[in-house]
Amino acid sequence: MKLVQQVKTQINMWAILSFVFIVIILLPNILIAIHFFGEPNENWFHIKEYLLFDIFYNTSILLVSTGVATIIIGTSLAWMITVYKFPLRNFFRWGMILPLAIPPFIGAYTYQGMVNYTGFIQSTLRNSFDLQVNQKYFSMMSMEGTIFIFTMFLFPYVYVITKSFIENQSSSIIENARLLGANSFETFVRVVLPISKTAIVGSATIVMLEVINDYGVVKYYGIQTFITSIFQTWFAMGDRESAFKLAGTLMVVVIFILVIERVIRGRKQFSYSTTKIRPIQPKQLKGVKAWIAFSYCFTIFSLAFLIPFVQLIFWMLMTYERILTAEFYTLVKNSFFAASVAALIIVIVGLIIANYSRIHQGLLPKFFARVTVLGYSVPGAVIAIGVITIFLMIDRNLGSLFKLFSIDTTFVLRTSIVMLISAYVIRFLAVGYNSIEAGFEKVGTTFTEASRTLGLSTFRTFLKVDIPMVKGAIIGGFILVFVDILKELPLTMLLQPFNFQTLATRAFRYANDEMISEAASASLLIILISGICIFIFHKVLDRGEAN
Amino acid sequence: MFVQIEDLVYQYRNASEPAIKNFSLQLNEGEIIAILGESGSGKSTILRLLAGLETPKSGMIIINGQKMVDDHTFIPPEKRGIGMVFQDYALFPHMTVENNIKFGLRHMTSKQKQKRIEEMLELVNLLDYKKRYPYELSGGQQQRVALARALAPAPSLLLFDEPFSNLDASLQMKIRDELKQILKQTKSTSIFVTHDQVDAAALADRTVLIEKGVVKNISKVEPPKSYSLI
Repeated sequence: MKLVQQVKTQINMWAILSFVFIVIILLPNILIAIHFFGEPNENWFHIKEYLLFDIFYNTSILLVSTGVATIIIGTSLAWMITVYKFPLRNFFRWGMILPLAIPPFIGAYTYQGMVNYTGFIQSTLRNSFDLQVNQKYFSMMSMEGTIFIFTMFLFPYVYVITKSFIENQSSSIIENARLLGANSFETFVRVVLPISKTAIVGSATIVMLEVINDYGVVKYYGIQTFITSIFQTWFAMGDRESAFKLAGTLMVVVIFILVIERVIRGRKQFSYSTTKIRPIQPKQLKGVKAWIAFSYCFTIFSLAFLIPFVQLIFWMLMTYERILTAEFYTLVKNSFFAASVAALIIVIVGLIIANYSRIHQGLLPKFFARVTVLGYSVPGAVIAIGVITIFLMIDRNLGSLFKLFSIDTTFVLRTSIVMLISAYVIRFLAVGYNSIEAGFEKVGTTFTEASRTLGLSTFRTFLKVDIPMVKGAIIGGFILVFVDILKELPLTMLLQPFNFQTLATRAFRYANDEMISEAASASLLIILISGICIFIFHKVLDRGEAN
Repeated sequence: MFVQIEDLVYQYRNASEPAIKNFSLQLNEGEIIAILGESGSGKSTILRLLAGLETPKSGMIIINGQKMVDDHTFIPPEKRGIGMVFQDYALFPHMTVENNIKFGLRHMTSKQKQKRIEEMLELVNLLDYKKRYPYELSGGQQQRVALARALAPAPSLLLFDEPFSNLDASLQMKIRDELKQILKQTKSTSIFVTHDQVDAAALADRTVLIEKGVVKNISKVEPPKSYSLI
């Protein structure tokens, strides 16, 4: 009887729905695991012998170099902007996040377009100075170029997270270090870096996961990685088994990175113990020092945002008359439709799981929360092939069902937008969920309890109290997911239905067809929308901290 | 007996020992009980068990003849008809004073609801504040709204979790006397938990002293002598 009571209080609509969603999220991964351990075919031996080493080699170089470079740039900027005042410092404070608005693949073809033979750098040198340069040094299409692109467009992750961490430290730590005789540099290396380790390692992990997930940059620059190989085996060779094996191997790499992160982070979670935090007062830099700080920030900002942005505007002005046709509007419509439907579903699913794991204690809700968040570490291409396989199975069963009732139909789910949106939901659920969970955490559970003692059921409390109280977090989560999907490439490339393209995939296709300036309009629209969202977010976040 | 609590046992997840051990208590209708104890003594947990916000390991709660909890039954909080005033009041920040009080009213026409709201506001002396939002009120006013909100649905039992802990010392006494008056006027059966003996003595008919989840002493409060002087 005791058990019945337990079960009755534990199993309810929330638990059941959450369970269903979690199964859906896990399904593609389980499928990949099954195939990963399955019987290999001949092709796989070939891949293993001739390709796998290169893939591993390239991936490791990319991960380590990008990781180190983004940490150096991100943390140095975070430190400089938090503790010093110098010209344009207040602008750089949020401006340094802007490069995130440029998806790396757009940055990649923009830079290649600038430095190649017909690009403005070489044409200026040729026409104005009559200089012919060695083409070898003027190509981005190398390992170094790839690392440069990833670093420039991903370092803001490290910058933002580390900056907000340092800003939340009390100034007394830094003042103390100074009093004990450390100069600025020493304070940075010996005090600030160790304290911020969690933030730095965490953000560098996000950067690495983005590098692993990337398809656009490495495809365009011709670097063989896991993702490009998965595309190749799946599309060019039609070899699903090997694609699964590659995806499985890639998941091992992802898990390896996550484990390393845990190990480096260790158990040390530094957070300031008292609530009375005196915020760090930035120190005014004077003379040469101020200009050095300014130049450093300005150089990074130019490379990572200003130059590619201006170049794209130029290209857009050259081409917009040809580009802004009915086709372009269809692209905009498609992108907005797919992104908003997926974001809406994510917000709803996120709300349900977050509410479930908030109201109920115990291992299962905690496990659900974990799984939801882990979804983001699975690369888009891996999710894509998992989802395709599931929809193939569903279609086969639906087909026989239709036949049973002798309904003649050509309807297949796997070529419909349902498949694409499902994959978006699985991939980006974590982004929306995190925002909503943070909102719930801030609000606590008392309001919910108060509502229930006043006679409202969990569901009505959810509608009348919980949702209105985390409205901000819900809208925030929606916007974040929307922007992420707008920029998404690999998953969309693999799963988009016939005759359905998004701004991102169209831009990439133009660039791949050597029509770089034609790609500018779609790219700029993506950058603009993302940029506006980033700006709004920064403002809201700043106000929130001030309160 | 109006409220009957028998052998209540509660244990936190992952805890080796129960936080509440065989707690029993009977209340008459209209009686005010103070549960007195240090922080961590389990006194707030008793309120949460009564409200249905936690599930006991064993034991039984009967209120006004209705079984709330035993080994076979668990009535969810929204069906218990028990009012609770939370320590931090938990006024819904997105609703006006009026809507906060209206929140728990149902099975009424909107006219009846309006009448009830007015009654409550009058009771707590906040008629002029009904269009305000909680953040526009002082701490004492917020607490009175919380009381009005809990009283509005006419609960069979009213629970207070440290009702004075968030108020200034000067305000505490005034509010305490007001509260006692309101409770007696509305004949509310109520339980409040506090760590302050003076509060307990001033408000309650009986006090229950609890230590580490075990009842140490139940005593009747003598009417204070100062009252007889008046």
